[in-house]
Amino acid sequence: MLIIILNLIGGNNMTIIKKLALVVVSLSLVAVSSISSAKPFSPKKPIELIIPAGQGGGADEIARLVQGVIEKNDYASKPVIPINKKGGSGGEAMTYVKKKAGDEHTLIITLNNVLTTPVNQPELGIDFFNDFTPLARLITDTFLVWIATEGKNTQGVETFDDFIALARGNGLVMGGTGSMSEDELLLGMMRGQFGFDAKYVPYDGGGAVAKGLVGGESDFTLNNPSEQMGFYQSGDSKALVMMTPERNPAFPDVPSSYELGYPDLEYYMMRAFMAPAGVDAEVEKYYTGLLHTVYHDDEFQTFNIDDGKLMSWLEGYGFKRIS
Amino acid sequence: METFALLLQGMATSFELLNLGLLIFGCLIGLFVGAMPGLGSVNGVAILIPITFIVPPTAAIIFLAAVYYGAMYGGAISSVMLGIPGASTAVATVFDGRPLAVKGEAMTALTAAAVGSFVGGTVSVILFTLFAPPLAEVALRFNAPETFALMVMAFATFVGLGGDDIPKTIFSILIGLVLSTIGLDLITGKPRLIFFGIPGFLHGINFLVLAIGIYGIGEMLWTLEETKGKVQMSKLSVNMKEVGRAFSALKKTIMAMNIGSFLGFFVGILPAAGATPASLMSYGITKQLSRNSKEFGSGVPAGVVAPECANNSASTGSMLPMLTLGIPGSPTTAILLGGMILWGLTPGPLLFTQQPEFVWGLIGSLYIANFFTLVLNIALIPAFLMVLRIPFAILAPVIFVLCVTGGYAPTQSLHDVWLMLLFGFGGYMLRKLDYPVAPAVLSIVLGPLAEKAMRQSLILSDGSMGIFFDFSSKPIAAVIMYIAIVLLIMPAFGPIYRKFFKKA
Repeated sequence: MLIIILNLIGGNNMTIIKKLALVVVSLSLVAVSSISSAKPFSPKKPIELIIPAGQGGGADEIARLVQGVIEKNDYASKPVIPINKKGGSGGEAMTYVKKKAGDEHTLIITLNNVLTTPVNQPELGIDFFNDFTPLARLITDTFLVWIATEGKNTQGVETFDDFIALARGNGLVMGGTGSMSEDELLLGMMRGQFGFDAKYVPYDGGGAVAKGLVGGESDFTLNNPSEQMGFYQSGDSKALVMMTPERNPAFPDVPSSYELGYPDLEYYMMRAFMAPAGVDAEVEKYYTGLLHTVYHDDEFQTFNIDDGKLMSWLEGYGFKRIS
Repeated sequence: METFALLLQGMATSFELLNLGLLIFGCLIGLFVGAMPGLGSVNGVAILIPITFIVPPTAAIIFLAAVYYGAMYGGAISSVMLGIPGASTAVATVFDGRPLAVKGEAMTALTAAAVGSFVGGTVSVILFTLFAPPLAEVALRFNAPETFALMVMAFATFVGLGGDDIPKTIFSILIGLVLSTIGLDLITGKPRLIFFGIPGFLHGINFLVLAIGIYGIGEMLWTLEETKGKVQMSKLSVNMKEVGRAFSALKKTIMAMNIGSFLGFFVGILPAAGATPASLMSYGITKQLSRNSKEFGSGVPAGVVAPECANNSASTGSMLPMLTLGIPGSPTTAILLGGMILWGLTPGPLLFTQQPEFVWGLIGSLYIANFFTLVLNIALIPAFLMVLRIPFAILAPVIFVLCVTGGYAPTQSLHDVWLMLLFGFGGYMLRKLDYPVAPAVLSIVLGPLAEKAMRQSLILSDGSMGIFFDFSSKPIAAVIMYIAIVLLIMPAFGPIYRKFFKKA
């Protein structure tokens, strides 16, 4: 269509005004035809929801919650099928979605590793800006520093300051979700800021990390709230600080990093959804609308707030700009 | 006897009309899902999750657990009848189940599978009932070094699996290990062994692709060559004499039942392992400890009972970390866990006290589901046997189609279908050259688990292998490791032992 317009403009036996008029007409024709040809999209087969992390972690939980809310209320005409592709700090999942360019029935939930992994693993050939279609951010997840209540190497640690003192030069072991994922970056940050001397052991996702802590294999972790919630409620693990400006109502007894005087210690994880690159605007609109419906679902709101998450809808230009 | 009262209450819950109907329906669906290559319990449960929102949580979990359970039984059917593993959990069932069917003893194989599954399922649910909290503690203490030691033990048992030709067995294990390292590095996430830069290798070699290729396609080629396409199995009469013979064959499998039930349960409760490694390990250990271990692989009932017992036992076991720690013990329980969250339950240490009705309803239903699946299975054996009446000329294309769909389904990429055919041909050649293929299948399942556990342990110990042998800090790991070493050298010293002591 564009070529035709350019050819028309190229003709030299027309006045400028005629040319302009033609361009306007043909452009509006393009617009009309694109509107008339674009039927509202609705899925024709089950929607694959790719999770770039293992089962039982934070991303997994949100993905399955979104699936459940959609299924329970019939928000979509086809089922949503969560698939875990946990390999290589999200590398496996991203490679998969990249290959699915143009596929209208694939979504991926993001951790921050969609930003860090392409940088750390250039050989995967993932170009974050061109390989995905960002849809919307639903939730911002927070991080806390966790120790086991009966941790053998962290006995007597009551406050975050006790912990900082201990973590200097005692060779503590930190359990994490995967090499070069956010918690390792955060550990790097704390190494720099507090002089931590800690080893990083990667596990399969946040669920396994939480178990490793309570099982005594690691001395501390930087889990999201939901990953430790079960152990926190049963008193097996305790949080020393939450890396946010304010306390969270789900953890009333845990101080915020600002309160303790460490405002540099602030970090979030976005829980957003993306489609593969090259999908139609109608497809994008459909899934963004679907996610918006999920976001405003009462059950979804209650669940996440109780779980200590921050509800933070962001779509369209705003989300694309930050991502 | 508070537990007992709660359990009875749970069983009573299962007998409510809605729950009982869902339970039987779930068992039937599970049988089908398990028997279809490519459709395993994972897919079955994932597809059915939406249905569960219209019923109360207890009915929902009873239904899904029944599907999970039925699939463990169902996987054996296609393993025995067609030589294609219906699900990854039934791969070890092919080792002896298929030869039994070829010998004309399909009845025995199916009975052994059904009874084995029942015993494994029942023993594990009893263990679950009595020892759930302390066992959860064990699962919690079982970390990277312990996992690695267990994997070494599994490999050790498999060195003896290929018969006396140890070098050929080791070769087969190594092939499997190499295949298992294809894809993304588990610790650093770097791609490795991506042959010719083909992106299909990035997700690694799916275990089912290898198993279906080697067993489904390989078996088909083998049968074609052996019989020139004329085979039709005889001795298909199902009468009481046959049934009696099938049951009396089970008397010799008591040891296999014990190993399968207890080992299966134990492996099942370890997070991230699940029923597939459990069934393979149980087969290996049963074979190793059996007096007639040389006959394994040529069709012995114990070789069917051991893995079938273990996969049911493990599937119950894997619900334990799911309920008590909120960590799924297998891919299927991961999906069940997602369901529980949606039903408004928080899995974790407090679930047993906060939601006793749900937990005990589930446990009670497992007893009942076991019983019904056994009855269904035995009753349906004549129907399954009809498959053998089909002439091979018709059956072969059907098997081929099932293999292709089974290879395609797990990852939905054609790349894997080609790989599956390649493995089929490769497996056939290996068999012609008298190489055992089972150890390769085992290593591709356990390889990634072992590699990850080993590397995590070595990070913990700053690279010292001592972490696996240190009785004071890691007693469990050390004990398992030393047992593994003994198992490993036993077959090597067997011939020497015989040579020196038999002569004397």
